[in-house]
Amino acid sequence: MIIRAESLTKHYRVKVRDPGLRGALRSVFRPRYREVVAVESVTFGIREGEIVGFLGPNGAGKTTMIKMLAGLLYPTRGRAVVAGYDPWTGGAAFRSRFALVLGNKQQLVWDLPPEETFLLNRAIYAVSWPDYRRRVDELVGLLRLEDVLGKPVRQLSQGERMKCELAAALIHHPRILFLDEPTLGLDITAQETIRAFVRDYRDRTGATVLLTSHYMADVTALADRVLIINHGRLLYDGALGALAERIAPVKRVELTFSREVAGAEVERFGVVRSREPRRATLEVPRDGVAQVSGRLLSELPVADLTISDPPIEEVIGRVFAGETGAGAP
Amino acid sequence: MRVEATTSRQPPSPRGVSRLRRLAAVLRAFWAVNLAEELQYRANLLASVVGTGFWLGTAVLTAAVFFRQTPALGGWSFWQVVALLGVFNAVAGVVEAVLRPNVGRIVEHVRRGTMDLILSKPVDAQFQVTFRRIVIWRGVDIVLGLGLTAAALVIGGRWPGIVEVVAFVVALAAAVAIAYAIWLGLMSLAFWFVAVENLSILFDALYESARFPVTAYPGAIRFVLTYLVPMAWITTVPAGALTGRVGPGFALVSALVAAAALALTRLLWRVALRRYTSAGG
Amino acid sequence: MRRYLALMRVGWLVDLQYRAAIVIWLVLGAAQPLVSLAIWWVVAGGGEVGGFGRADFARYFFALMLVDQLTLAWDVWYIDRWIREGEMNFRLARPLDPIHEAIADNLAYKAKSAALTAGVWAVTAVFWPAVRLPFEPAQWLLAGMAVVPAMAIRFLSTYVNGLLAFWTTRATAIAELQYGLSLFLSGRIAPLSLLPPVVTAAAGVLWFPYMLAFPVEVLTGQVTAGPEYLRGLGWQLLWVGIWLGLYRVVWVRGRRHYGAVGG
Repeated sequence: MIIRAESLTKHYRVKVRDPGLRGALRSVFRPRYREVVAVESVTFGIREGEIVGFLGPNGAGKTTMIKMLAGLLYPTRGRAVVAGYDPWTGGAAFRSRFALVLGNKQQLVWDLPPEETFLLNRAIYAVSWPDYRRRVDELVGLLRLEDVLGKPVRQLSQGERMKCELAAALIHHPRILFLDEPTLGLDITAQETIRAFVRDYRDRTGATVLLTSHYMADVTALADRVLIINHGRLLYDGALGALAERIAPVKRVELTFSREVAGAEVERFGVVRSREPRRATLEVPRDGVAQVSGRLLSELPVADLTISDPPIEEVIGRVFAGETGAGAP
Repeated sequence: MRVEATTSRQPPSPRGVSRLRRLAAVLRAFWAVNLAEELQYRANLLASVVGTGFWLGTAVLTAAVFFRQTPALGGWSFWQVVALLGVFNAVAGVVEAVLRPNVGRIVEHVRRGTMDLILSKPVDAQFQVTFRRIVIWRGVDIVLGLGLTAAALVIGGRWPGIVEVVAFVVALAAAVAIAYAIWLGLMSLAFWFVAVENLSILFDALYESARFPVTAYPGAIRFVLTYLVPMAWITTVPAGALTGRVGPGFALVSALVAAAALALTRLLWRVALRRYTSAGG
Repeated sequence: MRRYLALMRVGWLVDLQYRAAIVIWLVLGAAQPLVSLAIWWVVAGGGEVGGFGRADFARYFFALMLVDQLTLAWDVWYIDRWIREGEMNFRLARPLDPIHEAIADNLAYKAKSAALTAGVWAVTAVFWPAVRLPFEPAQWLLAGMAVVPAMAIRFLSTYVNGLLAFWTTRATAIAELQYGLSLFLSGRIAPLSLLPPVVTAAAGVLWFPYMLAFPVEVLTGQVTAGPEYLRGLGWQLLWVGIWLGLYRVVWVRGRRHYGAVGG
């Protein structure tokens, strides 16, 4: 077990601000606090070389969890052991073992080409020159960064920037990779590049990857195993395949019609989640989605059709409230 | 969004009264949103009062350091200089409340391309970049600054007559207009020097000289501050008009200077805009 | 050492992108001393004020501008932003204390701004004899030795002030307060001997004069080798020690606070 968490718990004290000027003044002189549970008694273990996905809606406690494992926050109760260290007291030796990539924060120096940040990290992590050259060549090849290496970061696209963030984080050959929302705000192609790279990277180096995301696709494409977390509690820990059986295996089809369509006409294609005169949202079995879409297009006046996964909040809510959804076996 | 709703109902190029009414409507819309935002941060009021009080104290003590060694600075007594410092702070308040959060952002508009959005609206662009938002807490600077001026007049023992007060009001309005013209002029230069983000700092550097009456400077500097970078008109003339150090006629000259400065920067602004639109952003 | 070179290289390259901006910051930094100089110039007239003639004032304020650039530190604003925008997180996740990045950045910036200031001074001295310093290498060496602890005091006090951002959103306001006090206590408005004796005495036991006024006085030759110089150096070392201690305490507690409440 390269990462172990035992009853890991994190509570925050949040200052309560009453509205109004008097409230503002009172909070200066006699602040009141409210205890917020970010993570509650979470226990799990991760083996070397695993890719594990933390899945959960925004504010579920995923980022807090990663920050505790990286030693940025210390737990209110419980403990974590990462690569043999207590993250909070691990110091420089521990920090050289992992890399932290935050999807919405960047460590690349904004005004300089990404290569400058690589060089900086080479010095910070004390990587030897031959190792550095080998790593950079490898990463540049895998991520196809040849053309962007010399451009100032501020001129890069979101996707290019995230690829460079990843490369910068990997210069020192970390054994553990913490990726917090690595595909946030990226377009579909860029998301897929990042996913393919992470999987490939693990296969080549045997590194352990822990990623959080609120995109289903990130986790389904990458993770050997998922931890589902909501309101700070661990709801599910296991293989993705087993989960897929529990998750409603449905796809969501959103339709816009060119004229008004009656409810009965739509209902025969699947479970209607919402309907307006010229719009409808259907849920249909995952494996039947292609066929149903074809029929929808030919039999109804469809102006626009999009297929997506149901939002993760709903899936989690449904799975753990006992409801298995339409089309479940 | 509300701005567009208010303006798009009107015909594209109204004139005269209807134009003024429309500008007023735009202003109301700008500031309603702005006020709602600012009210989120009420604790800033207290911080503003404390901060302004501290800086006023610092300014007065600075003057006191000089007056330990001399009975007058450029012919001005201690309390006359303190009255000037009040004006200095009040105009600085206008700068922080209105100019910096608006005119100071022009460079950002150019860099981020939001300038195109502004130009696409059916309202004069200069008007839009000038009055978009106000940081109302900095109004504290204006109130406390004028309060300091009044206190200095009382302690100094010479209460101004009605003519002097009128001259002061005219000169102060002119001072604000001149400050605005300098800001807009500096920011228009931003269209040429987009890389220089902090051009507005130049105003701060120049304004530092307005802490003292222009007559306290050596001759060459006095000339520069009066005719080249018109800092003398921002604090020396209004405070001088109020304390009787400067004749009321100067207030009228001041108004002329302000008008000239406004016209000149309006011209510069238009040239800058033309350059911007022809360069395609 | 190698880490410092890499960090300084980045700081240097970033600054290079903002060459024009640096010149403007220099102009702002020069404004207050130049205004003070102009006013004292007129006040002194043909005579002396408290032992200072026109030329003495000119030398004092030019030396002040140079030492000011040499000791300058902006770190409150950086740290405040790091913490507010969450950029502190990846800095804490690196095997390098963020203070080293701050120091390297600071040195890279100073190398440029101080060189520019010294250049401007040298050119001015050609045309304006009043600001010329007597050629005394020994005295300059003494001044150099006083500048190093001054840099440390100003940097550490600024950095510790910045770390307050772990607890409050008003760290920069506290920094402005420090600046306000330093107008008087660091000798920015006037040489310390022109202030009321009470203020001069109070300043003497605080850190303010030792990060600016003292090295300036050595550079202009007001303080020469002797007991006064040694006393000043002693106070400097004392304050370096105190601020180092404060830094250790505030850093450890700040990180723990951050670890408890998050960014």
